Amino acid sequence: MSKAPEVILLVDDDAAVRNALKFSLEMEGFSVRLYPTPEALLAESDLPAGGCLVIDYRMPEIDGLELVERLRHRGVALPVLLISGRVTRSLRERASGLGIRDVLEKPLSDLAGSIRRVLDDGP
Amino acid sequence: MSETSIALALEAAEARLRSILQTVPDAMIIIDERGRIESLSTTAERLFGYEADEACGRNVSLLMPSPYREQHDAYIGRYLETGERRIIGIGRIVVGRRKDGTTFPMHLTVGELRTGDRHHFTGFIRDLTDQQLTEDRLKELQSEVTHMSRFTALGEMASTLAHEINQPLTAISNYLKGSRRLLERMEGEHVEMLRDAVSKAADQALRAGQIIRRLREFVARGESERRIESLPKLIEDASTLALVGAREHGIAVTFRLDPAADLVLADRIQIQQVLVNLMRNAIEVMSEGGSVRRLDIATAAGPEDQVEVTVADTGAGLAPEVARQLFQPFVTTKRKGMGLGLSICRTIVEAHGGKIWVDSPPGGGTIFHFTLRAAADDRETDDA
Repeated sequence: MSKAPEVILLVDDDAAVRNALKFSLEMEGFSVRLYPTPEALLAESDLPAGGCLVIDYRMPEIDGLELVERLRHRGVALPVLLISGRVTRSLRERASGLGIRDVLEKPLSDLAGSIRRVLDDGP
Repeated sequence: MSETSIALALEAAEARLRSILQTVPDAMIIIDERGRIESLSTTAERLFGYEADEACGRNVSLLMPSPYREQHDAYIGRYLETGERRIIGIGRIVVGRRKDGTTFPMHLTVGELRTGDRHHFTGFIRDLTDQQLTEDRLKELQSEVTHMSRFTALGEMASTLAHEINQPLTAISNYLKGSRRLLERMEGEHVEMLRDAVSKAADQALRAGQIIRRLREFVARGESERRIESLPKLIEDASTLALVGAREHGIAVTFRLDPAADLVLADRIQIQQVLVNLMRNAIEVMSEGGSVRRLDIATAAGPEDQVEVTVADTGAGLAPEVARQLFQPFVTTKRKGMGLGLSICRTIVEAHGGKIWVDSPPGGGTIFHFTLRAAADDRETDDA
């Protein structure tokens, strides 16, 4: 019997990106939950104990880093991958300061591979 | 000489001086070595809005805004002690302050007069507010900043474009990637061809991503040069440029600079561009209306080697939904303009490892804040 698929929580304000990533990650065997805004994720009462968060950096109201900061304050310890259209050194530094595992530049040719590495490393 | 003839000679000398002061076309101010105003010309009275009677005997720092106001005595002291000339006989563009609190750019030349062991200083002032001269003198500084601004605007366009195009490319390449996985599980006559086509399409999406990245790197190349800079000096230079015309709009400008917020790690031109941008925006907003027109520029040393700069205006303020999006490219409250100014400010501040944000307090007005990294003063730590 195969074990239950790992849950990926994905926050991105661009619907096409969200749906495409869901499609490709599901084809890779993950279970994917989508959130169109940081607020939608923050309103989620039922966060899984395992899995991984994939968060877009540039969003209009709360940016990805701020969202991670808020989640950490709430004691959410899930590993995080930050995705962004533009990755600068300063963004990497700030992300690693928040304990974010990796920062990936779009268009994301192998998000599933990065997620597997994070999950294999454990929490 | 008898006492009477000395008195007469003195009176004649004073009358000559008075006549000069009344007729000299430039604003002229004479101060003693402690910085106290001894006399000022009729043009200077008009320019600064003080009568000779109320200004004489007061420290000349009265006629300048902070932070020069607090430092002027030290400038004189340093000159008397070291003899090192920073303005005497050289002439500089500085900021003057009128009685009503408004400020203006002026060209100041200082001459020195020694009688016995006493020093007097004579300042000749030309108001640069309306003059062609303003443009000439500021042109250099301005063209530097404008050039940078265009350069950064191009960079900002490229980076925005890269972001916008990367979104659909992300969708395309991930739909293709998922499709390829799906095809791996399928059998049939054409599946092999389909797999091949989908793989090739995915490669092309990645290639488009690389072209975008190269364009962005090309525009961003060598754009930033960070050095240890004096924050008060950056603000001084930026305000000389930004405050031109502030008086015509009846705007009073105040500077509240924290002495502890001194050296920062910054690209001078880029940070000046942020400051000029924020100040010009504030002036523009306030010239649209409102009875109280005050521009307040403040600095504060913060925790963790951060310094914070605030630029506050008393304009109409911002609607919350505008405030939230203000730093996004192509968002603007102006009829003219592309909405890139604040987006560029954000790019610059973030590239410096700082943050920029805006408050619009319920009482009205808008406060822009940004942070920079403080630079350790090596001169002091070396000595310690």
